[in-house]
Amino acid sequence: MNDKLKNIAVTALCGLWIFAAAIWGLVSSDAEISLSERRKLAQFPEISAEALSSGGFMSGFEKYAADQFPLRDGFRRLKAIGEFYIFRQLDSNGIYLKNGYASKLEYPLKEETVKNAAEKFRRIYDLYLSGSGGKVYLSVIPDKNFFLAEAGGYPSIDFERLVGLLRENTEFAEYIDIFPTLEIEDYYRTDTHWRQEKIVDTAKALAEGMGAKLDEEYEEMTLEKPFYGVYYGQSALPLSGEKMIYLDSPIFDGVSVYNLEEDSYGGVYDLERANGADPYELFLSGPRSLMVIENPNAETDRELVIFRDSFGSSIAPLFVEAYKKITLIDIRYLPTMSIKYFADFEGADALFLYSTSVLNNSETLQ
Amino acid sequence: MVFSSIPFLYYFLPAVIAAYFISPKRLKNAMLLVFSLIFYAWGEPRFVVFMLISIAQGYLLGLLIEKFREKPKLRRVFTLLSCAISVGLLIWCKYADFFIKNFNALTGLSLPLLNIALPIGISFYTFQILSYTIDVARGSVSAQKNPITLGAYVAMFPQLIAGPIVRYSDIADQLSGRTHSLEKTAAGARRFVIGLAKKVLIANQLGELIAAFKATGDGSTLYMWLYAVAYAIHIYFDFSGYSDMAIGLGKIFGFDFPENFNYPFISKSATEFWRRWHITLGSWFRDYVYIPMGGNRVPKPRWLLNIFTVWFLTGFWHGADWTFILWGLFFAVLLVAEKTLYLKRLEKSKVLAHVYTLLFVTLSFVLFDSPSVGAAAKNIGAMFGAGGLPPISAEAVYNLRSYAAILIIGAVGSTPLLKNALGKISEKPLGKKLLNICEPIALLALLALCTGYLVDGSFNPFLYFRF
Repeated sequence: MNDKLKNIAVTALCGLWIFAAAIWGLVSSDAEISLSERRKLAQFPEISAEALSSGGFMSGFEKYAADQFPLRDGFRRLKAIGEFYIFRQLDSNGIYLKNGYASKLEYPLKEETVKNAAEKFRRIYDLYLSGSGGKVYLSVIPDKNFFLAEAGGYPSIDFERLVGLLRENTEFAEYIDIFPTLEIEDYYRTDTHWRQEKIVDTAKALAEGMGAKLDEEYEEMTLEKPFYGVYYGQSALPLSGEKMIYLDSPIFDGVSVYNLEEDSYGGVYDLERANGADPYELFLSGPRSLMVIENPNAETDRELVIFRDSFGSSIAPLFVEAYKKITLIDIRYLPTMSIKYFADFEGADALFLYSTSVLNNSETLQ
Repeated sequence: MVFSSIPFLYYFLPAVIAAYFISPKRLKNAMLLVFSLIFYAWGEPRFVVFMLISIAQGYLLGLLIEKFREKPKLRRVFTLLSCAISVGLLIWCKYADFFIKNFNALTGLSLPLLNIALPIGISFYTFQILSYTIDVARGSVSAQKNPITLGAYVAMFPQLIAGPIVRYSDIADQLSGRTHSLEKTAAGARRFVIGLAKKVLIANQLGELIAAFKATGDGSTLYMWLYAVAYAIHIYFDFSGYSDMAIGLGKIFGFDFPENFNYPFISKSATEFWRRWHITLGSWFRDYVYIPMGGNRVPKPRWLLNIFTVWFLTGFWHGADWTFILWGLFFAVLLVAEKTLYLKRLEKSKVLAHVYTLLFVTLSFVLFDSPSVGAAAKNIGAMFGAGGLPPISAEAVYNLRSYAAILIIGAVGSTPLLKNALGKISEKPLGKKLLNICEPIALLALLALCTGYLVDGSFNPFLYFRF
């Protein structure tokens, strides 16, 4: 190839690339949401004199242009490949890969937010639990970084310190240690959460700590669709889908689940949501402010209130055999002061069950 | 609007290229002016007024200066008036609050700050207009009779907001008649894509490392040095990447803009560094301040005054803060010391000269990036063990590992090694053929990769926007 041909090729290829992408972007219809990123995409901003003079239109258009770019997911993947495999960066958008598991860097330990979480728990205890007649328990769920970060050379928080801080500031609760029951294989490769079929022993340990016993044998049910967790979309890496399994048992047949937000009753598993943007919402319909699981066939009259994050959705059904009523409260969505209108604590035991990532970012707790 | 953005690359650029090349020759400058004003208004709609005032005064006073060329008093009055308006606007927008703050500090008064937002690129286009009217007064160029042509020169979007500082005399002929060729367009596209890659793939990524450093609670001496080195490479790739894109765009539209960088980090002295770094600014101060003050053909005390004046102004041009002034004066001290004390000795040891230059340039950029003089002293002290920081920290080690490849690519890319290697390969016919085949593919791959980074959103401000 001589210089002239090279110049033709450079001009034609660059020109074609820019003009083709521009025309494609103009003629293609805009998408509402990004399934991989699980978020709404920016839409064409409103044009007005005010928006133009303030620059609001321009900033809106910049977001719109990036969000609606043709083959957006493919380009995001190209970037992730560039970061991981060309520039050998150890994480992309804070997400790293270790032994086939994707995890989000959680560093440093924010002692103030851990103390803040403890303060929130204390407030709940003072308001609702101190005179309820039940026992109060606390347990911490390690995130995947506990198993991956330090060993892989990634910055890692001091988990022992985190738990220690929390315990020091929640002396009203009895701590149940579930760290020894968990290993990295108990978590999804592409998601932040643990796998329900792998945490039966964890549920048993928690139940034992609360003076209950779990004996139920479950049948593993596999969703047909492969599961792509939240890190799949965030990292944009070409990760493969994985099996999502949920545990079924005849005891769930008589169980009813009340959803406060929708004022509706349903089952333990929401199979419709398993086909939605976040299949993990299969478990108790995902993040909800308040859910009440009632099992009229329970052999006891015990009641349990679980203050929880999203990890609680998949483990709570496993407690059904030991409790007549389980109330799940997520204070990220339901302010502490409003709980009194929806929940009854009389005689109920209470469990604060939170993952380390939420405790280290507890600003979201209300 | 920044070059490294989806709206620029895939909306503005195709539109301006199509409109420009479809337009008849006589309308090309008008087309450039219209699109340049749109480009400018995209970021700061209201500041278009400042630019139009600057263009109008430059145009009218340029004509008057030329008309009264034979009447020195009037010529001087109009030249001074034009300079006063240009510099006055710059001082008003950029330096008013700095002066008020320092006046308040000195007198104990509490004059209210004006809080004027800085029009983007005002430092650059002010210097362009100054050079135009001064050159007209000197008779080295003729006044431009066509306001659209002068407007196109001042507002020309490729170099409008972050340089290079293109003097009117550099492109006066090209404004009235320029050629477009396949060779020039291809060279422009190549230069633009390389600049884009420098900005998006290196500068922006190091920007994230710098942001992580500034947000950390896990500081250490290692982290300080990592930040300092990363910042030096970051600012070079950011600014030279922008200049590459500007020069490349200029070529696509038929212009030859002056070079702004020439591998400054291979310099063996601060003197050489400033011949290779932000060349158009350095030569502007040389031609319009230093030499008119007498340059070095004056007694030594006056020469020292000239040097310190120029470097005070160079620092001050970069920002209305004492850190920038100190940064400029820091180089003044180095330049004077080199010229009077040790430049000859330094030149005898290449290794020592490189270490010396890189060390002081790196330290200077820590000062440049610091929010205050106190913070700069603290940061530079921490690099040498002051402040009680631990020698290493987990976050520093992690980021060193994570950014090692980018830092190495940045360091190698700051030298002419790759350029020389490619030159050697292309000396052989087979090598040249191979390079000719690879080049379009490589450019397309870079364009695609940069698009991926921009679509996913990342750290993307141009440092020199604030100047």
